[in-house]
Amino acid sequence: MARRDRAAAERLGSVRERGGTLNDTALRLESVTKAFAGHVAVRDLSLAVPRGSIFGLLGPNGAGKTTTLRMVMNILGADSGRIEILGRPADDAARDRIGYMPEERGMYPRMVLEDQLVFMASIKGVPRKEAARRIGPWLERLSLAEWRRRKTNELSKGMQQKAQFIATVLHEPEVLIMDEPMSGLDPVGTDVMRDVMLDLRRRGATIVLSSHQMDTVERLCDRVALINRGEKVLDGAVSEVKARHGRNTVVLAFDGDASFLADLPGVVKVASFGQYVEVRMSDGADPQPLLREAAARLVVRRFEIVEPSLHDIFVETVTGHGREAA
Amino acid sequence: MSGKLWAVVRREYLERVRSKAFLVGTLLGPLIMGALMVVPIFAMRSGGKPLRIAVLDASGGLRAEVEEALRSARFDDKPRFDVRPPGEGPVAEREAALKEAVVEQRLDGFLYLPADVVESSGASYYGRTVSNRIDLGMVEHRVGEVLVSHRLETAGIDPAEAKGLTRGLDLRTIRLTEAGEKEDRGTAILFSIIMLMILYTSILMWGQVVMTSTIEEKTSRVIEVVASGVSPTQLLAGKLIGVGSAGLTQFLVWALSLLGVSLMAAGPLAGSFPLPDVSPLVLVSFVGFFLLGFALYSALYAAIGSAVNTVQEAQNFVFPVITPLILGLVCFPAILESPDGPLAVTLSLVPLLTPLLMFLRIVVLTPPMWQVLLSVGLLVAAVAAVVWAAARIYRVGILMYGKKPTFPELVRWVRHA
Repeated sequence: MARRDRAAAERLGSVRERGGTLNDTALRLESVTKAFAGHVAVRDLSLAVPRGSIFGLLGPNGAGKTTTLRMVMNILGADSGRIEILGRPADDAARDRIGYMPEERGMYPRMVLEDQLVFMASIKGVPRKEAARRIGPWLERLSLAEWRRRKTNELSKGMQQKAQFIATVLHEPEVLIMDEPMSGLDPVGTDVMRDVMLDLRRRGATIVLSSHQMDTVERLCDRVALINRGEKVLDGAVSEVKARHGRNTVVLAFDGDASFLADLPGVVKVASFGQYVEVRMSDGADPQPLLREAAARLVVRRFEIVEPSLHDIFVETVTGHGREAA
Repeated sequence: MSGKLWAVVRREYLERVRSKAFLVGTLLGPLIMGALMVVPIFAMRSGGKPLRIAVLDASGGLRAEVEEALRSARFDDKPRFDVRPPGEGPVAEREAALKEAVVEQRLDGFLYLPADVVESSGASYYGRTVSNRIDLGMVEHRVGEVLVSHRLETAGIDPAEAKGLTRGLDLRTIRLTEAGEKEDRGTAILFSIIMLMILYTSILMWGQVVMTSTIEEKTSRVIEVVASGVSPTQLLAGKLIGVGSAGLTQFLVWALSLLGVSLMAAGPLAGSFPLPDVSPLVLVSFVGFFLLGFALYSALYAAIGSAVNTVQEAQNFVFPVITPLILGLVCFPAILESPDGPLAVTLSLVPLLTPLLMFLRIVVLTPPMWQVLLSVGLLVAAVAAVVWAAARIYRVGILMYGKKPTFPELVRWVRHA
């Protein structure tokens, strides 16, 4: 295993030498537009995903995430604009260096898991014997080993999800395109998957994923782009995006009636999460008076000034509050 | 063959061959075929016990001869009639008693020879069953012979001599081919019907398999993953090769089991089993026309499967595709009647009909070589054109979800894909 990993790393390294000096971008979209009969799904979208990063493509339902990823995979053709993967146009030749996990999971329902995985790898150019060797460790790692000889339709949804993931990485792709990779996984599965993705990145892979699950994205991604109605509204490193929104969110846990918080000066919005509230304050507002007021009227159990969560940024940006980022 | 294409071929082939449908079809196929050929023979043989009949002779003097003639009637090396005594007493009384015996099932039937039977040549048979044509034909024949020899004797002619002079015609049919002459007693027609049916159902069935598997790939969404590895053209090619090989495998199993049956037939079933006499030319053209016909129709099926979302939606498109195949079957008696006539020649040159009709003509006669070559050439050209167009539809269709395309839209896909 170790030797193979090294071989893979060397391969990735050599690729980096070839294209890297010219271009450190794994995936680049330039003014890509795609319209379907009646509506524009993606409008003038430009993105740059650096090599070795985990890139989150965020957006509400129908924003154009899946359409974008399908264009990257050359499943859909763009109406205009350019898409480059690893410094080359996104054509068929690049396909074997990419792993693609579509939004709607696709496996042959009546195929035995192991055969299915070998097949998926062999259509990506991995010899059958080699593919069969690689499967074992992956099945172990994602706790699917005992399901090896079972038919895919006997697997639970979460297991199929993990199997799909193995099918995506078995050919050791340099770029992974994953549409909602975490949906349908339990917390344990989510953690395993996150570890695996971080591992892959350490070995030099670039991961592009789309998601609505903001906490996942926040913990996993280096960079994000938020698209809404086919247009990019926000883009950058996660820390940068957060910094742009300022350290002006207060988390407050308490006992009592906190309905007065919304009327305090400098408070833009109060979001209640049951156990606590998140108070969004206007730029430059001082949270100290809020603490004093809360302490006077409530039993405060926690008071913390935090960066806004991606969740908040997402909701605000999409619903039109705080358009400063656009 | 590239590794990717091979991977698709391998998957398609194994998936088909390992399926229950394949197992059932492969096993039941020969069983049904065998049953079609063997059951009638056994049914006739075990047509069971000899018929219990009596001869009521009102003319007097014929009974012994007729009874003897009936006793000597054999079917399948066994006496066919169990001749019972008609009883004693006046004719009317005996007739009533015999009728009663028949109704009470002590007797299967009786033959009534009226007083003027030799002159009028008229007799009656009473029985519960009068639809057993073969038995009654035998009675008619035997009794007729007795009457004729009586009349000959009356006219002073030796019946044995007369029989020799009036021997009927025993017509043998011999097929002439370039390879020589072969005696053929109708098995050619039986065999050609069976082969034609196999060819027809196989092309149709395996074409359907290609269509449903394409639809399945769309509904299970696996197509997006597969299309990120292989090109649609590779996928289509792999599918056709894989499924076609599964079809050939089935034929091979059938051919081997037929061989087994015919070896067995050399034993207990010797002689009565209509063993087809298969020339290598027929075998080669069977396989060849299956492959070409399969390629032609399954490419069309694949195009349909890729364009629709469900099997139900596919039905509208399927009908025009299988119409030529059905037409080929409908034309079959006309072709058989005159396999070298202008209708047969013309139709067998139409590529959509060639796989069935040219094959049929090759089985029943040997068509001129130029016709065979021309039909195959046209068919190959048609296969190439259809596969090309189908691949273009397939390329667009497999990743297209939602509304079923209209026919003009399909044409547009072919032109712009």
